[in-house]
Amino acid sequence: MKTLVYRDQGWDGHLEISEPTKLNLAFFKTFPSLDLSIKVHSGVSLVAALGDFSTGEGKLSVKVDLEEGASLEWHLAAVASSNDKKIFDISAFHLARESKAVVSNYGIAKNGGRLTFAGVSKIERGAKGSDTRQEAKIIVFDSGSDGKCSPILKIDENDVNASHGASVGRLNDDHLYYLLSRGLPEEEARRLITMGYLKPVLAYFDDETLKGQLEQAIEEGL
Amino acid sequence: MPALLKIENLHVAVKGTEILKGIDLELNEGETLALLGPNGHGKSTLLGTIMGNPIYEVTEGNIAFKGQDVLAMKVDERSKAGLFLAMQYPAEIPGVNSSDFLKAAMNARRSKPLTLFEFYSKLQAAYKAVGIPFEMNNRNLNEGFSGGEKKRSEILQMLLLEPDLAMLDEIDSGLDVDAMQIVASAIKEEQAKGRSFLVVSHYARLYSMINPTRAAVIINGRVAVDGGPELIKRIDAEGYEWIKRELGIEIAKEESAMNEVSIGVCATRVAAKEGK
Repeated sequence: MKTLVYRDQGWDGHLEISEPTKLNLAFFKTFPSLDLSIKVHSGVSLVAALGDFSTGEGKLSVKVDLEEGASLEWHLAAVASSNDKKIFDISAFHLARESKAVVSNYGIAKNGGRLTFAGVSKIERGAKGSDTRQEAKIIVFDSGSDGKCSPILKIDENDVNASHGASVGRLNDDHLYYLLSRGLPEEEARRLITMGYLKPVLAYFDDETLKGQLEQAIEEGL
Repeated sequence: MPALLKIENLHVAVKGTEILKGIDLELNEGETLALLGPNGHGKSTLLGTIMGNPIYEVTEGNIAFKGQDVLAMKVDERSKAGLFLAMQYPAEIPGVNSSDFLKAAMNARRSKPLTLFEFYSKLQAAYKAVGIPFEMNNRNLNEGFSGGEKKRSEILQMLLLEPDLAMLDEIDSGLDVDAMQIVASAIKEEQAKGRSFLVVSHYARLYSMINPTRAAVIINGRVAVDGGPELIKRIDAEGYEWIKRELGIEIAKEESAMNEVSIGVCATRVAAKEGK
């Protein structure tokens, strides 16, 4: 499997994926307002991961077209802090039969940061047997911060699987209570739970140096 | 010797509804107290209140543990003081690795953190004792665990955290006979070390395995009867009807169970339900 790495940048124009590929995206500097498009060819799989710890405002949009039997796994971990205004618009278009997509967006909004997860998962007419899932979760840390999730499913075909789940809220009280009841100090419990939202994305990065930087950014981001 | 746990006139409300209406209860060191009573009468509320679950609001009364004022303590302080609650429905915590969590919990009560070797030795022994594969320490905490695995994992944590008083809330529900044996023998080993237990169960089977020293029956948010272990047998055989007959206590019907909705399911549905 081939790995494409983009750090603090996108690609020019359109990306064609014609062999099994991993896509590793990491933003540390200025939030890039990009409009990216990808086509995943028939029978090919794309596993994409984006870790966003940049600052600024804008909209990042990624549109993925899936041909017959193609699959997409998308994992995003993002932090919006200190008056950042970030919109992620991640869409998957099932153009033909048996295509699969999982779009999973996780983020935290704190210190006045605003984070929006948007995007459409669309199963086109004729794309029978396709399977699409969207999940989005944002933890809002304080009252000055804001999170929005608006997952949209558009289904123009029968005989498909489609599901979505979205939640925006404070740190889960049940989770916090559970950890506290085992003696973890509140600060550590909060840190562990929040890390639990952001860290899973690391599993999709190959480059150890980049992984280390992302891990550090997660720790610092909390 | 003063009681290990002393509860006086405890009143507790959940979302404005009073559930506990004046609980008086004592537990001495080394005792295992069986807590009985019909569903919805306050057993879990009592355990959760002692541990400090924020959904329970104490409106009146005191709880003392080793002479300390429990209600003045934060949840983590209660744990560090030696209280432990094996929960009926342990939370699944996404992204939090079991072994990271266990290490943090064990180190929270130590002045010097465990060495990696000490930690893994203890961890291995505990996984073996509760009969779950050691590899599960790499899994996220309770995430995707079966009902039985969750219960065993609660007992595993009890073994690692070595509480002076372990409260077990329906630890046997969802366990098959073999698993129940394993859990019971783990409890018995702790009993032999002089540790105390407060146990809620609906089944005489678990009780017959762990031999409680005393039993108390909670009805309508109060301790209606308090006595020796023979109470367990009687209730197992006759139910609660005799309490009404002999003591003249009307047993309130269980109110509709509260369905706690928490973040992580479907935000839209929750919001719609709460009219936001």
